[in-house]
Amino acid sequence: MSVGSTERTLCVNGRSVDLREVPADERLLDTLRWRLGLRGTKEGCRSGGCGACTVLVDGYGRLSCLALTHELEGTAVTTIEAAHLDPVGSVVQQAFAEEGAVQCGYCTPGFVMAVTGLLRDPARDRPIAELLHDLGGNLCRCTGYVAIARAVERARERVR
Amino acid sequence: MTAPGRPDALAKARGEVEYATDLTVPGMLWGALVLAPVPHAIVRRVDLSAARALPSVVAIGASDLPTLLGDAHGDPERPPFPTAEVVYPAQPVAAVAAPSLARAREAARAVRLELEARPPVPDLETIFPEWPGSEASRSPHVAAHVHARRGDVDRELAAADVVVAETYRTAGVHQVALEPHACVAEVVGDRWSVRTSTQSPFGVREDVSSILGIPEGSITVEGTWVGGGFGGKGASLLEPYALLLAKAARAPVRLALTYREEFLLGRSTLPMVARLETGVRDGRLVARRVRLLLDVGASLPGRDFATGYSIGFLLGPYRTGAFEVEGYAVRTNKPPFGPHRAPLAPQAAFVAESHLIEVARRIGADPEAFRAAHLWTEGGTTPLGQPVGPFGLPRALEAARARASEWRAGLPGGHGVGIGLGFWSTNTGAGGEARVRLEGGSLVIEQGEREIGSGSVLVGLARVASRRTGLPADRVRVEYRGTAEAPFDSGVFGSRTVGALGRAVDEATVTLLTELGRRLQGTAPATLAVEGDRLVARTDRAHASVESLLTADERASGGLKASGRHFGAAGGIDESLVVEGSFYPYQDFTGAAHVAEVAVDPATGTVRVVRYAAFHDVGTLLDPAGARAQVEGGVVMGLGTALTEEAVWSEDGHLRNPDLVDYRLPRLGIVPSIEVTFVEGHPGAGPFGAKGLGEPPIIPVPAAIAAAVREAAGVHLTQLPLSPERVARAVKAAQPSRPDDAARRR
Repeated sequence: MSVGSTERTLCVNGRSVDLREVPADERLLDTLRWRLGLRGTKEGCRSGGCGACTVLVDGYGRLSCLALTHELEGTAVTTIEAAHLDPVGSVVQQAFAEEGAVQCGYCTPGFVMAVTGLLRDPARDRPIAELLHDLGGNLCRCTGYVAIARAVERARERVR
Repeated sequence: MTAPGRPDALAKARGEVEYATDLTVPGMLWGALVLAPVPHAIVRRVDLSAARALPSVVAIGASDLPTLLGDAHGDPERPPFPTAEVVYPAQPVAAVAAPSLARAREAARAVRLELEARPPVPDLETIFPEWPGSEASRSPHVAAHVHARRGDVDRELAAADVVVAETYRTAGVHQVALEPHACVAEVVGDRWSVRTSTQSPFGVREDVSSILGIPEGSITVEGTWVGGGFGGKGASLLEPYALLLAKAARAPVRLALTYREEFLLGRSTLPMVARLETGVRDGRLVARRVRLLLDVGASLPGRDFATGYSIGFLLGPYRTGAFEVEGYAVRTNKPPFGPHRAPLAPQAAFVAESHLIEVARRIGADPEAFRAAHLWTEGGTTPLGQPVGPFGLPRALEAARARASEWRAGLPGGHGVGIGLGFWSTNTGAGGEARVRLEGGSLVIEQGEREIGSGSVLVGLARVASRRTGLPADRVRVEYRGTAEAPFDSGVFGSRTVGALGRAVDEATVTLLTELGRRLQGTAPATLAVEGDRLVARTDRAHASVESLLTADERASGGLKASGRHFGAAGGIDESLVVEGSFYPYQDFTGAAHVAEVAVDPATGTVRVVRYAAFHDVGTLLDPAGARAQVEGGVVMGLGTALTEEAVWSEDGHLRNPDLVDYRLPRLGIVPSIEVTFVEGHPGAGPFGAKGLGEPPIIPVPAAIAAAVREAAGVHLTQLPLSPERVARAVKAAQPSRPDDAARRR
């Protein structure tokens, strides 16, 4: 029996989730969307190929479709529903809206979380091309990424 | 603060928008489709008993339809489930629903299929390795045949100075809207209702009616927010299955595709083979022959639209002498052909432009001057005899040539610059209706389309009313209505939303302003303005607050209302030139000239796009920011078609890369700077002379990239995409063999 099995939890947007109620093979994406009703996190390919389901785990971007919920015991998960409470997250959301980086919007929550993760990191002052390269796992079919790149730059200027 | 022009942007960035994949309703069951594991088979038996033995599972197949549909009889050519023969891989053969998705999947796996596999026809070239000639018309594999000609092509070719004959091949491409298809259906009594992610709620209603045989009046379709369409959500796909499951289960049913299923059974654009023959005399095009074989998958005979529309794009927007175009829509064991942003036009423009560049080089002419000299001009005619209306492409090409010259000055080694042209027409022939409602403080547009992402509904329609009334953007609001309430509209496709539905909005707005003008005893329609908090109407004679001009009834019922409709008429083509099949006239004449600079790595064949410039005929620009966003998005989508995107089918008829790892989309790191310029002053079919801009931006991209690759690496490729492997092989083949290679061969 694992240590602390009587209180196995993870924290989602500040709220404790009891892992005893979560099947061992459940993905974080499904826990968020269907168990907790947090459907702002989007389901795209479910195989790590599109980035639409990106959330923050302890402040860093992570694909929720590739994470088993039980793996994340003891971590703090932030989803798009709480992004506006994060000082960086709210800046990123504004920048995406202002720069026209949002069209159909299906990739947007994943992008917002991925960019928020990058800009919370002290390594955010790298050349912009490196930051954008790190976002290569997030696909967008509408914008051609041009406005998204502008939004990333604008958001970084504001959080510096 | 929200983005100017995008009322939905911040809500989407906060994850607050509900897509069809997000819907749940109380008591909802989860659906799953049972997909055929082979591309072609005789159906012996579909045994649902093991699935039905699972707790709380509902399972349906072809044999349940009489029970579920009663007296209703759908189109026998479009049964929801095959009764005799599976004709494409992953064709749905049964469907299940259960209280959880895991149980539904388990039930789907429990369905036993007794299928007798038949050899598939995986590819059109296995049927027609050569141009088939007239006997193809009798082939069971041919779904449509189109043929038109003018003059004596053979005689002109014989008399030409130079004749260039080439064969081109292009790959199948998926739309890859990030949101998979999804819907939630419910059947209560004789009301069949579905909430779905669609580019055309009325189109879905019509499809469901046709497939299930239920009258349209019994069907309600409500569109949800759409996570990208690109043509893939224009027709029904899941809705008939979800409705049948809901009927069988007597409960609401959610049905969504996995992304793998999205690739497997989504309706995508399929491969084509085009053979071109062109004769030049004294530097002029005197004869052209175009022969097209288009893979239409399991499309129904006689229902192919693509061949007759696309074949014109293989000639390009150029004047020609004698010509002959002939095309066959070829049935294979793939999912039925579906439209993908400007169906086949990017591929056709790649063929047309690459071929004319080759022709120009063979006669020693400058490829860009050669194309400019033959380009349609306003007042001329198309090959099929349609008069060319206002057309900004010649000016766009002029600007593109100037940019190309700048870029060519001081170009590094291994780099090249190319120009590609693309021609298009706003589809205002597909009509629509809209209502407007003037409240005391704002103008509301009521209509039946959901925003699919481009902004054409929420921003485009609002801009039309804003421009007509004089009201600022924040005083015009667009409201969605389901099919039960909305005035009819064809759908968000064909770059038509602003061009056709926008005309309906404009007509409704003018009617409303005319009525206000009458109430103010004016001689002309009123204009509107904001004064303080309220709206004020003005004419040459008087002005008054809108509130004061409304009757008590109007104030009580939501405001002054007016409606408008628009069904576009196109100039005719010369039917005497048509030998067989349907060709489609253009509603207006638009297009773009794109310039690309690329760097080619000759060892790996990798093409890097260094910079890009797009010059677009837009007629009249209504929304500069939105228009720019359309061009940026279309260009990058086109880079995928040009360089990486290819549905790979195996010889035994299976799709080999049904995922986003092996089907490669453009990514953030590879996008070049994109300069966007609009050419105005050549009005189109839309309101205020606007031309559609949803599709045109993708069209010239593969052509421009191929032209630049040719200049950079000296290789002329005749197959899309220009994958590293193809480019590297072409580079290697073009290199003079080294002495040691020659020695080894001896």
